[in-house]
Amino acid sequence: MSDIAPSARDFRTVTDEIVDISLDYPDRRAWWMCFIPALLLLLSFLVSVTVLFWYGVGVWGNNIPMGWALAISNYIFFLGIGHAGTLISALLLLLVQHWRNSLNRFAEAMTLFAVICGALYPLVHLGRPWLFYWMAPYPNTMTVWPQFKSPLTWDFFAVLTYLIVSILFWYIGIVPDLASARDRATRRRYQVFFGLFALGWRGSARHWARWRQSYRLTAAIAVPLVVSVHSEISMLLAAGPIAGWNSTVFPPYFVAGAAFSGFAVVSMIAVVLRHALGLRNLVTSRHLDLLAKLTLLCGMMTAYGYWAETFDTLYGNDPQELETMRDRLVGVYAWSYWGAVFLNFVPLQLLWWHRVRVNPALLFLIGLSCVIGMWMERYMLLVTTLYRDWLVSSWQRYHPSIWDWSLFAGMLGVFFTLFLLFVRFLPVISAFEIKEAMFEEKQERKETGRA
Amino acid sequence: MEREQARPPSFNRRSLLQAMAASLALAGANGRRAEADERALPYVNAPEYVVPGKPKWYATSVRFAGYLQPVLGKSVAGRPVKLEGNDRHPATGGATDLFMQAALLGLYDPERSQVPLHLGQPATWAAFDTDVFRRTSEIDRAQGQGFRLLTGAVSSPTLLRQIADLQKRWARMRWHVAEPINEHERLEATRRVFGRPLQMLPDFSAPAAVVSLDDDFLGPGPRQAMQARAWSKRQPRLFVAEPTPSATGTRAGERLVVPSARLQMLAQAIARGVGVGEVDAPDLSPLEKKWVDASLGALGAGNGLVTVGAHYHWALHALVLLINERLGAFGTALRFTDPILAAPPDGADSLAVLVDDMKAGRVTTLLILEAEPLQATPAALDFRSALDKVAFSVHGGLYADATANACHWHVPVQHELESWSDGRAPDGTAAIVQPLIRPFLNVRSPHVVLDRWMDGNASDHDLVQASWRTGWTEALLAGFVADSAPAAVTPAVANRTVSLPEAPSSDGLVVEVRPDATLWDGRYAHNSWLQETPKPLIQATWGNVILVSPALARARGIENGDELSLRFGNRELLGAAWIMPGQEPHTLTIGLPDAFAFLDSWRQAGVRLEKTGKSRLIASTQPIQDMAEFDYVRTVESGEEAATRRKDDVSFYPQRKWDSPSWGMSIDLDRCIGCNACSVACMAENNVPVVGAELVAHGRQMHWLRIDHYTEGETDAPRHHFQPVPCMHCEQAPCEMGCPVNAAVHSPDGLNLQVYNRCIGTRTCSAYCPYKVRRFNWFEYTGHDPDSIRAMRNPDVTVRSRGVMEKCTYCIQRISGARIAAKIAGRPIHDGEVVTACQQACPTEAIVFGDITDPDSAVSERKASPRNYSLIEEANTRPRTTYLARVRK
Amino acid sequence: MREPTAAQRVFGLMAEFNRPERLIEAVRRTRQAGFERVDAHSPFPIEGLAEELGFHDQRVPWFTLLGGIVGAGLGYWMQVYTNHAFPIDIGNRPLVAPPAFMLITFELLVLGAVLFSIVSMLGFNHLPRLNHPLFDVDSFRLASTDKFFLVVLSNDPRFDLRQTRAFLHSLDPVRVDQIGQTEEPE
Repeated sequence: MSDIAPSARDFRTVTDEIVDISLDYPDRRAWWMCFIPALLLLLSFLVSVTVLFWYGVGVWGNNIPMGWALAISNYIFFLGIGHAGTLISALLLLLVQHWRNSLNRFAEAMTLFAVICGALYPLVHLGRPWLFYWMAPYPNTMTVWPQFKSPLTWDFFAVLTYLIVSILFWYIGIVPDLASARDRATRRRYQVFFGLFALGWRGSARHWARWRQSYRLTAAIAVPLVVSVHSEISMLLAAGPIAGWNSTVFPPYFVAGAAFSGFAVVSMIAVVLRHALGLRNLVTSRHLDLLAKLTLLCGMMTAYGYWAETFDTLYGNDPQELETMRDRLVGVYAWSYWGAVFLNFVPLQLLWWHRVRVNPALLFLIGLSCVIGMWMERYMLLVTTLYRDWLVSSWQRYHPSIWDWSLFAGMLGVFFTLFLLFVRFLPVISAFEIKEAMFEEKQERKETGRA
Repeated sequence: MEREQARPPSFNRRSLLQAMAASLALAGANGRRAEADERALPYVNAPEYVVPGKPKWYATSVRFAGYLQPVLGKSVAGRPVKLEGNDRHPATGGATDLFMQAALLGLYDPERSQVPLHLGQPATWAAFDTDVFRRTSEIDRAQGQGFRLLTGAVSSPTLLRQIADLQKRWARMRWHVAEPINEHERLEATRRVFGRPLQMLPDFSAPAAVVSLDDDFLGPGPRQAMQARAWSKRQPRLFVAEPTPSATGTRAGERLVVPSARLQMLAQAIARGVGVGEVDAPDLSPLEKKWVDASLGALGAGNGLVTVGAHYHWALHALVLLINERLGAFGTALRFTDPILAAPPDGADSLAVLVDDMKAGRVTTLLILEAEPLQATPAALDFRSALDKVAFSVHGGLYADATANACHWHVPVQHELESWSDGRAPDGTAAIVQPLIRPFLNVRSPHVVLDRWMDGNASDHDLVQASWRTGWTEALLAGFVADSAPAAVTPAVANRTVSLPEAPSSDGLVVEVRPDATLWDGRYAHNSWLQETPKPLIQATWGNVILVSPALARARGIENGDELSLRFGNRELLGAAWIMPGQEPHTLTIGLPDAFAFLDSWRQAGVRLEKTGKSRLIASTQPIQDMAEFDYVRTVESGEEAATRRKDDVSFYPQRKWDSPSWGMSIDLDRCIGCNACSVACMAENNVPVVGAELVAHGRQMHWLRIDHYTEGETDAPRHHFQPVPCMHCEQAPCEMGCPVNAAVHSPDGLNLQVYNRCIGTRTCSAYCPYKVRRFNWFEYTGHDPDSIRAMRNPDVTVRSRGVMEKCTYCIQRISGARIAAKIAGRPIHDGEVVTACQQACPTEAIVFGDITDPDSAVSERKASPRNYSLIEEANTRPRTTYLARVRK
Repeated sequence: MREPTAAQRVFGLMAEFNRPERLIEAVRRTRQAGFERVDAHSPFPIEGLAEELGFHDQRVPWFTLLGGIVGAGLGYWMQVYTNHAFPIDIGNRPLVAPPAFMLITFELLVLGAVLFSIVSMLGFNHLPRLNHPLFDVDSFRLASTDKFFLVVLSNDPRFDLRQTRAFLHSLDPVRVDQIGQTEEPE
């Protein structure tokens, strides 16, 4: 693992390379060229939400039976992506994988922004969004409480918890680097900004000790949290008595799929950031290789989910389940099923080759394919199940409207805007953890040398 | 007194405020008082004063194609809000049809004409009276020469008296009738056979077997409620031969798909079979022979009846009369009376004579009262250009549409629910129409229009009362004049020679014309409830389609929604294709208002069919109707065979013991004729909004109660099923489990409740509902309604706003009403005290509602039947609404 | 940099090192010399350094556990309580349905544990604070980059400005700085 941390370099250059990006962004032109389109997409979000709130959910393509459609499939999609950040950060921290240190910060930021996008969807999809807080248990004059047996209430708590935990985990992880930025900032407004958010961090050994306790415990709790959150999101579908949803394979299938799409997105971001910000020393081809392996692993687990679902249906021989499977394989929306199968699993197989794994362009394209494929899967799970459910008489077609798509574009705008601001103003890689890894590896080398 | 108990006041502060606000708005908007006509007498007990929030019931009638349909009108704070069948009426016994249910909207329709129009410009009644006065002096001089009156079919004694008065004053005036769907052929047949025209009144509760030659006696029409109620009492064995599926055909034990030209061969074969002398032996196909033999077998068992569709040639009717005579049906299954509708001087040719006279310039003044000859006559008649030759034309009607615009004057008339009138029900029983509300628009009764024409000055009340010197009060209280139906006559056959005409041509494709199932001849095109009601066998709303057979569709590569061009002569009809299983292969079916522009007969051979290559949007509520391998509608071989496939009662959840009362519903699928009366009644009772064609096509219709239509088996001759689907009120409701905010919850009396003001619109309940009976307010459907529509709303039912889910409540407002009344009286709720709107509307009593914990209740008795089963019982939702399987017979 | 004067009160003395190994060594020797009130500052966490300083605080893990228990308890109690406070039949499910309640209980367990953990971590660290006497020393800027600092606080019983300074110089630091007293050392 010695090539993970760039041991040839010293502590200062690590800080220079990472923290100085925030203080003096290298290629502002390129940043603006990304940020302006992101702002335009954000505008699309604002317009779409205004239209949506003004006229009602009817501006979308939903109907009965397709009461849930693009909004919920995107909700699942965004949250799914988010989980990879937590897994990379928390799980690999617990497994003492030093190479995570080059990836965890932006992966966590990605998590945060994806969760924000995901959480916005169920909010705006409500018929009366201004009453969303009725999901929360608060004492009220009507003495009415939320209904705690509803998967939606579970989701409300799961997503809220996940959002809070993600923010806190990410924030306490970035505080030492904010302190670093504070200490290096020369301009007043940066000093104030970083000074406020660094919380007065001064690297005391006792502080570090408590920080470590807390950080590791949070990481240890975050891993089962990820599993629980996406399991609960799968329950949103699986708890309903609708063929094609009502299956116990859903929770693991969703978690694997979420991690899969998330690792694909992290791979894509890693490729782009190391290119755009000149971080090839910190995000090495070894990182890309490992990310690709993780993507491949989760992809194969997801493929197993597909297989298990099909097997279940055939083995169960329930006419409704068989009908839903037929609708998926050859129905009107079969493109979403086969699109998901093809995009998710065919290009993925190239990752068995090392040369493909370390080729940034190829990795990016394969990641893109997986992300689109997983988006199609979410769409397929919602649409192919609901458009033909129990009664033939309720079968209907579904077409997303222009406002469905504009909101989706707008939600990407929310994501990109937040992410670009993060890239521009905050340390995108955990500098102190890289330094720590460099030091520890040196110690290890010394010890092995001594031995 | 009993009735008052049955419909106790359900009164609370909110309903009062709503009622007051709405009526104030109404009064303010129109500057007129909106309250009951104090001379009208409420049903059963007359109040000394108005109790706000306490509904009053008036027995009255609404008119449909000349006949009166008896109703009980519910009036709250002076506003009619719901029409029910009059359960004491001898003809219907409380049965209703969708037109009767939808008449309420006709009263409040914001599109109604509100002021007189002169040459299309708003004018005053005074100006109209002046103009008419000038005209009548000219008519006086000509002794009525050139003055014509055109009406729809008339059964009203008052109107007939007024017409007689007209003729007395102007001897040379002439009265004409335009009623496109009529019984002329039947009357002609009786005239030929018995020597005088007689009304045929089949009684479908009498025969043990009925053979229908394309007679849709259970289908839409003025007799539907009466005949369907009678049919449901006994449900005789039914044999139907028809070219295109009908409501009656769906109930048939043996349904034969034949071209309409073959019907007379079938009649001949039956005639020979039952021993009507001197009938040629027709060549029959094996299928036809099998059907005829089966029919003959059933008829031979005695107590049979044969009927023919009203529009078939009189000779066929005559032959069938002879068959029925042989069957001994006269006087029992088939009764005769004098014609109920008054015959105009020129009989069946009345309209044709008028048009000829108009074209020849013999008509100088034309008064059209409640007839729409421009919309509802065949274009071939060319009424439009004939009208241009009339010097002075007046149209009196509810709407200022095509006919009104083509006349010099249009005057708005009163709706039946706001005027005094009279008439006869389809069985001939006379009734007085009394208003439920004073007119809130500047309109006159048609009687008053005629009276003014003769320089009279009487009110509609006085004009009608003049016809009923005795029994006035009794008639108003009961809703009909007792024993006023014309006496049954037993005519002797005067002429036994029937020479059937040449079998009509069957070259190429044959087009059959049928009345529209929800718009009739187009006269209800303004009624948005009826427009949005799916045509039962097609499930299309807001416009009709061209029915093609599956075989023809295969041969020509036609798919649903393809635009078809029908050509005959130089006329063309464009319409959307709909592939109808059970349609005769070479027969196309078109609906009436469309057909007027294309054909002038009920049947036309040699029509050319082409695809235009375009496609049309069909606002269908059920795009797919093939039941495939599923068993939503189950059929058992006999009434004793169990329909359910449930073996045990296992569940994860605790067995709950339900206290009495606990509500449930049973729907007999054998009785359901798909008439949609329940569905429209539900819209009226529960303030269900109308959303329009575009949203229906999008899958956003709001009907709380839908009638699913399924075909089962081979597509060329399938079995057709109707299945009314309200909320199932599942005991283990998935929707409730899904709702995060406790908006979908269960009540102690077994109802699945939807709490509108708690709903935040997550739509989880709908996603989880296996029956998809929940409806969502995608937009603000109710907030922008005009004042008149607000005034129509049932004050006991919450009006839903944007973003909330809604669904069938089992008419919880009626349950609450009954519960409050029972509590006040300190007694339990009686069985039958709570009647849901759909149950009350159903002409065939297919729907029964009540307390399922009471083993003696009607609903428990129904549910104890072996035929009882739950829809999608494998989902283990334990529905409270269950079905009785159909019996194969 | 302000030159310290003898008149100024002193917060502590700070020795700067270039490499982490030197800092560890220096901390060890300072502790061996009997100093109690010693702190070390580094740009990244150094394994074992706090233990060298005599740090054996396990309160953060205990608080995390407590938070988890409180969260889970509150979560389950909330669901049981609200269902009893307004009992409604929901699809014939039992009023209290432990399997259905487990999910929210778990989420609140996580939330409670994480909140308690992080809040207690900040609390015991006396963070956040905007300023600190150490920040007055210019060279401390590099504590977050690549320099390592040993601080002996003036409230150490053995603290003596001159002697301690000499002791620190004996550790072979890059430099030794005096920290001005803007507040009492903790």
